[in-house]
Amino acid sequence: MVDTKFQSDWKIHIENLCVRFGSKEVIKNTSASFSQNKINSIIGPSGSGKTTLLRAINRLNDIEENCYTSGKLFIKLEDKWHNILSNYSSPVYLRRKIGMVFQHPNPLPTTIKRNITLALKIITGLSRSEREERLINSLQQVHLWDEVKDRLKKPALILSGGQQQRLCLARTLALEPEIILLDEPTSSLDFKASKRIEQLLLELKQKYTLIVVSHSLRQTRRISDKVYVLSNGKIAQELSSIQIHDDQMFYKVAEDFF
Amino acid sequence: MKRTQTIENFLFLYCWSCGIFLITVVACLIGFLLYKSMPNIGLKLIFGDVHWYKALIGKQIVFDGIWPAMVGTFFLIILSTVISIPLGISAGIYLSEYCPANLKAMFSFFIDLLAGIPSIVMGLFGFSLVLLIHKFITPAANTCLIVSALSLAFLVLPYLIKTTQIALSSIPKESQLIGPSLGFSKLDDLWHIRLPQSTKNILSGIILSIGRCAEDTAVIMLTGVVAIGGISDSIFSKYEALPFYIFYIAAEYTSAEELARGYGASLILLTITGTLFFVSYMIRKRLEKRW
Repeated sequence: MVDTKFQSDWKIHIENLCVRFGSKEVIKNTSASFSQNKINSIIGPSGSGKTTLLRAINRLNDIEENCYTSGKLFIKLEDKWHNILSNYSSPVYLRRKIGMVFQHPNPLPTTIKRNITLALKIITGLSRSEREERLINSLQQVHLWDEVKDRLKKPALILSGGQQQRLCLARTLALEPEIILLDEPTSSLDFKASKRIEQLLLELKQKYTLIVVSHSLRQTRRISDKVYVLSNGKIAQELSSIQIHDDQMFYKVAEDFF
Repeated sequence: MKRTQTIENFLFLYCWSCGIFLITVVACLIGFLLYKSMPNIGLKLIFGDVHWYKALIGKQIVFDGIWPAMVGTFFLIILSTVISIPLGISAGIYLSEYCPANLKAMFSFFIDLLAGIPSIVMGLFGFSLVLLIHKFITPAANTCLIVSALSLAFLVLPYLIKTTQIALSSIPKESQLIGPSLGFSKLDDLWHIRLPQSTKNILSGIILSIGRCAEDTAVIMLTGVVAIGGISDSIFSKYEALPFYIFYIAAEYTSAEELARGYGASLILLTITGTLFFVSYMIRKRLEKRW
C-alpha cells in the first residue's frame, strides 16, 4: 500500500464513508482524519450518527444483520496502513487492536479479576504470570488497583458505576490496543466519577489514540485536542484546539448544531 | 385519580390472591398425596418382599414392588435428556446466532408446530417408526425403552430449543457487544461469554423437560412400557415406568391396598423429579460460580 497520501500524524483516515441500516442511511458520505496520541472528540445532536461513526471504526456495526458500510476506512496499526473495509481485513484482528468502552459500564457478571483475565487468556494466549502482570498494570493505569487489590475475587457488579467503568477501561487496556473508542463514557456517572475518567483520558492519550463521543460540550472543551461536529450523518465542522477554546467560535457551533 | 387508585388496589389484591391461591393448591396437592400415601411408604412399597440389598444388586427380582418402575423411569429420563439436550441446545444456538433471518421464521413455525403436537400423537409416531423398522429393516424390531426415549426427546425438544434461543437473545444489547468489541471470534464469544450468561435460563428449560419426560404417560404407553416386566436388561427391551404404573393402578385397582400403593408411587415419582430438579439447580449454581 502506498502510504504517501497519509500524513505522518494520522492514525485513522476516512474517505466517503456511508453506513446504512436497511434503507436508513445514518452516515452519509463523510470524510475525516483522526490524529494519533490525541483526544479526538465527536459531538453532535442526538440521532446525528455519532455512535454509528464510532462503531464503523472497529466494524462493530457489522454484527447488525442489516448494516451496510461503503467507502474507505484506513487505519494505521503496527505502523502499517490497513484498508479495514476491504474483504481481506479481519474484524477480529481489528477489534483486538481497537479497544472500546461503552456508554453504560458493562462488566461481565463474574469476578473483577476474571473480567480482565478472561479476554487475555482467550485472545493473547499469555502465560498465567504474564496475565497477572497485565492485570495489575491495567488496573494501575486506571487507578483502580488500590481500590480492588484485596477483593479481586469478588463480583465486579459490586463496584460503583465509576469503578465499573474504569474496570471496563482496564479490560480494554490489558489487551494493549493502539486506539481506544469511547462512547459517552461518562454519561451514566456522577460528577466526581466523570472527572476521574476525564483525568484518565488525558493521561492515556500519551500512549493511545482516543476517539471520544461526548454528550457534554463542557467536557469536550476540557479534554479535546480536536473536535468533529457531526450533523445529520455528516461531519459538518472540524475544530482545532485553538478554535475549541475560542468562546465565540464554540458557542456559535453550539447554537448552529444543537 | 381516585378511580386509578381503586383499579390499582383491585389489581394488587387480585394478583396477591392469585399467588396465595397457587401456593394453597400446591400445598393441598402435596398434603393430600402425603396423607394418602404416608401409611404405605416404606421399603415394602418399593421392594415388596424382597430384601432391598438383594434387589439393588439385582440378585433377586422384585415382583410386587415399584422398584422396576422407578429404575425404568430413571433410565427413561436420563436417556431422553441425553438425546434431547445436545440437540435442543444446539438448535437453539443455531436459531439465535447463525440462522439467516428469512429461514428463522420458517424454523420457528416448525418448532411451534412441534410444541403443539399432543403427546399421544408423538407416541403414535414412535409406534409407527417401530412398524416401519419392523417392515423394512428387521422383523425383530419392537417397542422398547429407546423408542420411548426418542419419542419423549422429540416431545421436549421445542422447550429446549425455545429456552436456549430466548436465553441467548435476551442478553442485554450492551452485554452482547462485549465479546465482539474485545476481539473475540464468534465462537469464543458464544462459548466464553454468552452461553455462561444464559446458563440459568437454559437450565430452566432442561428442568421443564425433565419434568415432562418423567410424567408423560401417553407417549410411553404406545412405545414400550408394560405394567409388569421387571427391570429391563437393555435399551431394546420393554420396561416399567412410574407414571404408567400409577395410571394402571388408578384404572384397574381391585383393592384399597392397591390404590394406596398407587398413591405411594405418586409420591415417589414426585420425589424423583424433585431430586432431579435439585440436582439441576446445584449444577447451575456450580456453573455460575465456576464462571
